[in-house]
Amino acid sequence: MANDTAILESTGTLTRAQLADLGWELKPEGLCQDDTCVIVPDRGALVGDAGFDLVILAELLDRPVAIDSESGLSAMGADRGRRRSALIDLVAPDFALPDLDGGLTALSDHRSKKRLLVAFSSW
Amino acid sequence: MDPDHLLTELYAISNVPTVVMIDENDRIVHPNWSAFGTDLFREFTGIDSDKQHDRVRAWVRDDTTELTADEIRESVGDLSADEEQARLRFRIANELRHRNDQSGAARNYAIADDLAPHDWTIRRAAMPLQGQDPFGENFMRIYEEAEAAGRPYHGVTGY
Repeated sequence: MANDTAILESTGTLTRAQLADLGWELKPEGLCQDDTCVIVPDRGALVGDAGFDLVILAELLDRPVAIDSESGLSAMGADRGRRRSALIDLVAPDFALPDLDGGLTALSDHRSKKRLLVAFSSW
Repeated sequence: MDPDHLLTELYAISNVPTVVMIDENDRIVHPNWSAFGTDLFREFTGIDSDKQHDRVRAWVRDDTTELTADEIRESVGDLSADEEQARLRFRIANELRHRNDQSGAARNYAIADDLAPHDWTIRRAAMPLQGQDPFGENFMRIYEEAEAAGRPYHGVTGY
C-alpha cells in the first residue's frame, strides 16, 4: 500500500536512492521489497550507467508510468494487480488517505465491518 | 481526502459520486455505482436518492444485494492505458501547480483531458484547479460530449 502513487524527479532514469524511496532494492535475486522479490530477466536493460530505467522498472512492477520531459517530472501509478483485485477477484484493495485531523485513515481500519465507500467531490 | 485520486485508479472510478459496498470480509458486494444522497441534482441526473437509500438499507439490515459475482465483474471494466496515463498526467499537473508552474500544470491537465475526455475525475476535476467554474460553460460542454458518447462510466448505471 506504501507508495501507491509517486511523483519522481526523473525524465527516464532513477538513482538507487529514488528506487529505495519507492520501497525497492535491487538484489541478486531480483527487485525486492520486504520479503517480495520480482525476477529481473534482463538486468542490463534495467540498470545502466545513468541509473535505473524508469519504463522498464514500471513494466517489471506492473505499474503505469508517465514522463513529462518538459518539467523533468514523472509519475508512477499503483500496481495494476491492486485494481485487478477489485475488478476480478472482487477483493477491495486497501488504501490509506489523509483525514481532516491530519492523520491517515485506511479502509482496513474498519476491517470486519460493512463499509460503504463513497467517493465524492466538493465542487 | 484523495488529492491524487488514488481511488479512481484502485477502483476504476470515472465520476463522482461513486459508491462501493464492501462487506466484513473485504469482498466487493456491489461495485461502483452512481448514487446521490439527496435529490439536489435529480432533474439533472435522473437518479432518485430514495432508491439508493433503500439499496444501502437492504444490504445493512438484511444482507440483500442485487448482483451476482459475475455481474459485478462485468459491470465496471478496467481502465484503458489512456485512462491510466490521464491519471498520471493529472498528478503531474497537480504537482506543477503546487510548484507554481501554472503553464506546466495547464499543459499536463490538457494532455490528461485529451487522453480521457469523458472521465469526470480528470476533466471536470481540473476545472476548479485552473480557476474555472465547475458548473460553467466548459462543464456543459463536457456534459454534452458525454451524453453524445452514451454516458461512458465505469460501473453500474440506470438505478
